[in-house]
Parts: sequence; C-alpha cells; structure tokens
Amino acid sequence: MKPEEMRYCSTGEVHLDFHGSTYVGLKYLLDHFGMEAVDEVLSSTAEKVYKSIYERLQRGDSSELICHWRYYLEREKCDFTLTENPDGTAVLELRECPALRQLAKENINDRPLICHATDKMNQVWCANSPFEIVVEHLEKGCRQTLRRK
Amino acid sequence: MIPSDHFVRFYNEIFKYLQKQGPEAIAEYYQTISKHQETHCWEIFTQKGIPGMKEYWDNIRKEENCDGEVLECSETVYRSIMNNCPSLSKVVDNDAGASDIYCRHCPGWVMPLLTKCGYYCVEDLVGLDIPRCQLSIFKNLEDARAYRERVLKRHPGKPELVESNFD
Amino acid sequence: MIPSDHFVKFYSEVFKYLQKQGPEAIKEYYDTIAEHQKTHCLKQFEEKSLAGMKEYWDRIIIEENCDADALLTDKSYTFYMHGCPSLGKVLDNDAGVCDIYCDHCPGWVLPVMSASNHYCVYDLIGKDIPRCILKAFKNRCDAEVYLEKVKKRHPEHPELVKCNF
Repeated sequence: MKPEEMRYCSTGEVHLDFHGSTYVGLKYLLDHFGMEAVDEVLSSTAEKVYKSIYERLQRGDSSELICHWRYYLEREKCDFTLTENPDGTAVLELRECPALRQLAKENINDRPLICHATDKMNQVWCANSPFEIVVEHLEKGCRQTLRRK
Repeated sequence: MIPSDHFVRFYNEIFKYLQKQGPEAIAEYYQTISKHQETHCWEIFTQKGIPGMKEYWDNIRKEENCDGEVLECSETVYRSIMNNCPSLSKVVDNDAGASDIYCRHCPGWVMPLLTKCGYYCVEDLVGLDIPRCQLSIFKNLEDARAYRERVLKRHPGKPELVESNFD
Repeated sequence: MIPSDHFVKFYSEVFKYLQKQGPEAIKEYYDTIAEHQKTHCLKQFEEKSLAGMKEYWDRIIIEENCDADALLTDKSYTFYMHGCPSLGKVLDNDAGVCDIYCDHCPGWVLPVMSASNHYCVYDLIGKDIPRCILKAFKNRCDAEVYLEKVKKRHPEHPELVKCNF
C-alpha cells in the first residue's frame, strides 16, 4: 500500500511533544479511573479511530498496518528496520522508539505504561483476525513480529 | 506507539471517556495538562513575557502545521488567529467521530497557565465545530476586559463561545 | 428616506429580487456596484496600491463600525472581519436574510482589484457567519499560493472561496 492510500496520511512538520501529551493522558486515566479506563480508551482508539487498519486485519489484510508502521516511523526519524513478507507477515525491529526517546527528553520514566498502549492496541487489532503480534522489548525499543496464528 | 501525528485522535477519545465521568473529571484533566505544559512554556513565558509567548506559538504553528497568523504583538498584547486548526481538523476527519467539547481543551490548559504567569486571556472559540479561533493575551486587566466585551458582541446569545481567565 | 444605517436591509431585499431574475441579473448588479465603487477607491488603489487599500478600509472600519483587523505588509493587505456589521444587520432583520448576501462584497471588490492590477482572495468562512478574510496581493504567484491554502479550509465548499484570477 502507498502512504497516500492510508486512511490517515499526515504530511508537513512533526510535533514530537505529543508523545509527552499521550503519556500524560494515559497516566491521568490510570491514576483517576484505573487500567480499565486506559484499556477502554485504547480499545476505542484501535477499533474506531483506526477502523481502516482494524477492518483490514480482520479480513486478513495487513497492508495498511505495515504501511502505517513504515510511514510514521520514518516521519519520526527513528532507527528501525521493517521486513515485509509476501504472505502479509512482517518483523519490525525498532531499535529506538520515538515515544520513549521523547519521554526521556522530558524526564518521564514510565516505560511500562507507554508500551502497554502498544500492546493493547495490537491486541485489539488482532483479536478475531488471522494475525497476532508478538512484542519483545529491546533496550530502547522493541521487536514486533506480525505473524499468522 | 501512537504516532505524534495521531495524538489528537487518541486525545479526542480521552475526552469522550471523561465526558461520561462528568465535568469535574474534565476540569481536572485540563489542570493536569496545564501542569504538564508548564514544562514547555513556564520558563519562556515568565522570562520573556509576551514576546516569549509569541516565540512559543510561532514554533507551535510551524510544528503543528497551523494555518494561522499573528494579528498583533507588543510588550502588552498578543493576539493570534487560527484559520484552519490542524487539531480539530484531524479530530473531525476521524472514523471515530469528534467529541463535542474538543475545542475546549485549548483554553482548558492555556488559561490556568497564563493565570499563573500573571496574564489575562480571552479566547474566541468562533464555533465548536469550526476549526477557527482567536487567542488574545493581555498584560493589563483593563485591556483584557475591553477586548472581552468586543468578543462577546460577536456571539449574542452564545457567551459560552468566549472563554477568559478573569471575572 | 431609508436611513444610511438601514441601507443593508434594503440591499438584502434587492438581492432577493435579483435572485428570482437569475444569476446574470445578480452579476450585472455586482458590476454596476463595482463601477460605482470605483469612484470611491480605484484611484487610491492604483496610486497607493496595498497602502491605499489600508487607508480606504481603515476609514470603512470606523464609519461602518466593523469589528475588524487590517494587516499591511509589503506583499499583501489582509482585512480580517470578525464581526461584520453588514451581515450582522441583515441577520437581525424581520424580513430574513438573503442567502447570497455575503457574495456582494467579492462581487464588487474583485472587479475593482482587477482594474487596479491586484490579485485578491476572499475566504467567506460561512454565509451565515459574519466573518470573512480578504487578502490582496501585488504578485500573482503569492496570491496563487494563498488561494491553495484557503481552498484547504473549505474542502467541501469551494463556493466559500472567491478570487479574481
């Protein structure tokens, strides 16, 4: 898939401070309403905001998710490798996560909560789809393996 | 990871959740955001005053790809106009739909921060489903009061579209 | 005598009548108004260009009680209407508003801009919202870049963007 075919294809400058704002939002929900609230908001983000990625995965089509990974990680200028296979599986080796990088700049040290956001969204995307995403944490990032169940 | 470019759509989901919890939950979140935003703005606002605010928002206009302009800037007044807000525009271009209080998050965090810095602020929200607004900041309370009267006249019957941080 | 203060409510009735006659009748009226308006501002725009526009509209802002800002640079003149007294009065009107009322401004301004060799873009914002933005340029390329920016503000409503090129 080409970036311009994605449902959301942002262009222009990037405002990396938003990673800090994402963390503040997640932390607020956790502190005031618990993990249930965090998961409720992440689930609606994964299923409703990213409806296009979600519905494609349900149909066995990972092309938009893979394009999304490549496009946005390139925009945020991080160190990664993305290997895509003809059967729709892929391995994303993210050696430096831009979210963690930004949080470090802002002296925020709460990796589990930010990583939980990724885990939860992956879980929602893959539920009832032919795919699963296995995440292994690396020093400054992660390896996400998109494979068929 | 939620890309920076998509933060506002996630943010919009938080507001939908908080709307169900009630107005106090929303108000408290605004205070939390404002406190976080102090890490970005406090030093430049308190050390450089209004020129510092201009510097901050000039950078934001660039990084967030805003279609906006500065209408007036001096040592005592800063007025800016947003002609096409990328934040609300993305939230409207969104398969999950927009929260009807989305626009309020801006005055929600800006006003407490400016109050703490000792400045007065009037925001003309224009319309909550229109990606346009005007932010005006004053050093002097009397100037802010006079300006607020001008803005209230733009919204007869809808004073809720005018926000300010003073009585 | 219709008081000056109530001209616009009468003007709105003229447009309602012309709407029934068809688009050509409306266009011809705009051209007629433009010819009349040239007697007020064409010389000023030709001789003083963007600065002349600022002079002209600074006076209008006062006399017509506009809630507006005007910005002048060496490349452009921008008129920001935040509270249009003209549409404001036409909305506050027992006869109801004509839905093409806002078009009358670009209707006469754009021909005057063309006559004085300037390029002009109007952002009408919304026809029931008494706000708009007029931006005039000396240079066509600058105007074209700005036009693209304004079109992005109205992806589904190109009729809210007017220009003379």
